Amino acid sequence: MSLSSKEAAESLSDVERAARRSAQAFGYSKAAPHLILWGAIWVLGYSGTDFSPMNADWIWGPLILAGCVGGYLLGRGTLPTESSGAWRVFALAAVALLFIFSTYTIMWPVHGPQLAAFPALLTGTVYAGVGLWLGTRYLITGLAIIALTMGGYL
Amino acid sequence: MEQPDPIIHQPVRLKIMSALRVLPASEPIEFVRLKAIVAATEGNLGAHISTLEEAGYVKVEKDFVGKRPRTRIALTKQGRRAFEDYVAYLRDIIDTSPS
Repeated sequence: MSLSSKEAAESLSDVERAARRSAQAFGYSKAAPHLILWGAIWVLGYSGTDFSPMNADWIWGPLILAGCVGGYLLGRGTLPTESSGAWRVFALAAVALLFIFSTYTIMWPVHGPQLAAFPALLTGTVYAGVGLWLGTRYLITGLAIIALTMGGYL
Repeated sequence: MEQPDPIIHQPVRLKIMSALRVLPASEPIEFVRLKAIVAATEGNLGAHISTLEEAGYVKVEKDFVGKRPRTRIALTKQGRRAFEDYVAYLRDIIDTSPS
């Protein structure tokens, strides 16, 4: 049994296609719990601040902390053991917060709806950008977040 | 490698091995997810996984999540090596063929 170069090229193409689909499915399965966690936090946070805008700090502070801790725990459970990268989930949230508060400082003064819309807009942009490389589900999620955020803001 | 590995050479088994190879070492994949990736029927996929398991290329774990049965498949070290040899064999054919 021997293969022609055409058959070999077709087999390699099958290998690459299956590998790409598998890697994408693996990525989705690892990202989904984080997306659900932060989605739930957003629902609680934005609902709370809508009813009680004066207490936004008290509402968002514990929620963000809970999100970071939850993300770390999920990362421990879902990331491959040899990469031991759960701490990166925590670090990513910290970097995002640093960027958001730095932007507020530069752009100050800002009013309530701007404060609320900016993190969501940033998150949507990151998802949409990542989706250009890693899969259309991220792209669609990101664009949906941007559209909903702008819809709510305007 | 003079001849292709007959275990991996079969198209569905080649897709199974490709899907498993891209995962981190020893990371299993659920049967239902693998079925979607490979686009095979349940019976067909099960038969090919059994062939790969008998050859020592994959490890199959069966357990329950609540009351729902779950089957997970992971590549073994032997399987990883055999797959890499097979891909090298394919590349060699392409590289040495007259253009």
